[in-house]
Amino acid sequence: MSSLPVIQKMLVEEFGLTQEQVQPDSQLEELGVDSLATVEFMFMLEDRFKLKMSGEPVPIKTVGDIAKEVDAAMEKQGISLTDN
Amino acid sequence: MKKVVVTGIGAITPLGPDFTSLMNAVYQGQSGVKALNIPWVNQLHSPLAAPVLFPVEDQFTKLRRLMLDRVAQLGLLAVKEAINQAQLNTALDEGLTGGIFWGTGMGGAHTLEQAYMDSFSNPNARPRPTTIVMFMTNSTTGQIGIEHKIKGPSTTYSSACSSSAVAIGEAFEAIRHGKINYAIAGGSEALLTLGVMKAWESLQTLARPDHERPETSCRPFSKDRSGFILGEGAASLILESEEHAKQRGANILCEIVGYGNTTDASHITQPDANGQARAMSLALSQAGLSIDDVDYINAHGTGTQVGDISETKAIHYVFGEKAKQIPVSATKALHGHLMGATGAVEMAIALGSLLNRQIPGTAHLFNPDPDCDLDYVSEGTRVLDKLDVVMSNSFGFGGNNAVLIAQRYR
Repeated sequence: MSSLPVIQKMLVEEFGLTQEQVQPDSQLEELGVDSLATVEFMFMLEDRFKLKMSGEPVPIKTVGDIAKEVDAAMEKQGISLTDN
Repeated sequence: MKKVVVTGIGAITPLGPDFTSLMNAVYQGQSGVKALNIPWVNQLHSPLAAPVLFPVEDQFTKLRRLMLDRVAQLGLLAVKEAINQAQLNTALDEGLTGGIFWGTGMGGAHTLEQAYMDSFSNPNARPRPTTIVMFMTNSTTGQIGIEHKIKGPSTTYSSACSSSAVAIGEAFEAIRHGKINYAIAGGSEALLTLGVMKAWESLQTLARPDHERPETSCRPFSKDRSGFILGEGAASLILESEEHAKQRGANILCEIVGYGNTTDASHITQPDANGQARAMSLALSQAGLSIDDVDYINAHGTGTQVGDISETKAIHYVFGEKAKQIPVSATKALHGHLMGATGAVEMAIALGSLLNRQIPGTAHLFNPDPDCDLDYVSEGTRVLDKLDVVMSNSFGFGGNNAVLIAQRYR
């Protein structure tokens, strides 16, 4: 089960974006979510899912990229969405 | 040297969300000082401050707010009003001949304090990744550049209470010398946080609250004065060379003609009347004006025992026998002490007075002090037959003195 729907909901709530804007292939820069805002959002996700992102620089360009990163980190750390 | 004119004025202060509301309030003697309505107010000796009540945050999207401390939000709102009034289109020259000159004492105090609170209360806490870019003192300056695409020089001035007067003065110099065609100049401050307010309390320069009439607690030049009230806000001017303003058909409001900047070099907090007087004399000299030409002085007038006497002496030194004939008013009694923003706010009031031909009084001057013996306009607003030249004084901790002079544009 992907974290994508939760991430989309959080982008709407935290950044004031619309549901239509946060499609998986939506480019973050085009939404006004620059690299700093993306880091801020990753911090929020770590708190939300109680996980630790790798800290390695990874190319995150789209909403879907965020979900992929979170899903990978959750799998690696044995965390499931139902834990949250 | 080029003539420097003002084409836009913006302000967001404890007295309202724009320049007009500020002028109306100072004319009416309406005070922005009140007890703060926040959870930690009981930790302060005095709950009094002059907060901006306008819903500042709501003017920005959530995403934009991620990068904007309150100090930058206030600054951007004041700049927006000034640019709108000036009808300045920075796209015409791609922003290349414009500059930003901004003053602030502390920068993003709210952001820094939050980062400290997070870090000290939880060893595993991570301050927000935007902490640095929100609290650095040039944060507002950079955000103004981004918002209005201004690509010439941008400089941030931090000289405590004179910061934004210095910013306006340096913008004036840059235009006067032909380095740029136009500038956004002013300052913002937002330091009503627990840590900062407690630090100010320890310095013992804040006004003792009057429990019956708290809004009158700051009393510049009154014998019973006991200090100032901390405030927050921002003000911005649009300055241009006369040539640039005329070419684009702008409505010219008035002209900046003099700027004096000196350092006391004597004490970090105690003012020196000689240093203050030198700044006034330098500004007059640069303007090519004599002491007989000055029609109004907006005093620094913080309402501290020492500060008001020093400024009174300094005005005597400069104006001699003329000193008692010049109306002097201290508007901090009403809008509070906006620290890095206060010079710009008070310059805006001086310019508003010039434009309206009407000066605000010094509010709450209930008990005249024999050591403060100038005409402080204690009766309230005064309409002057001749009001063509105004002076605004700003003196900061550290010993910096900045004096600006403007005159009616003809």
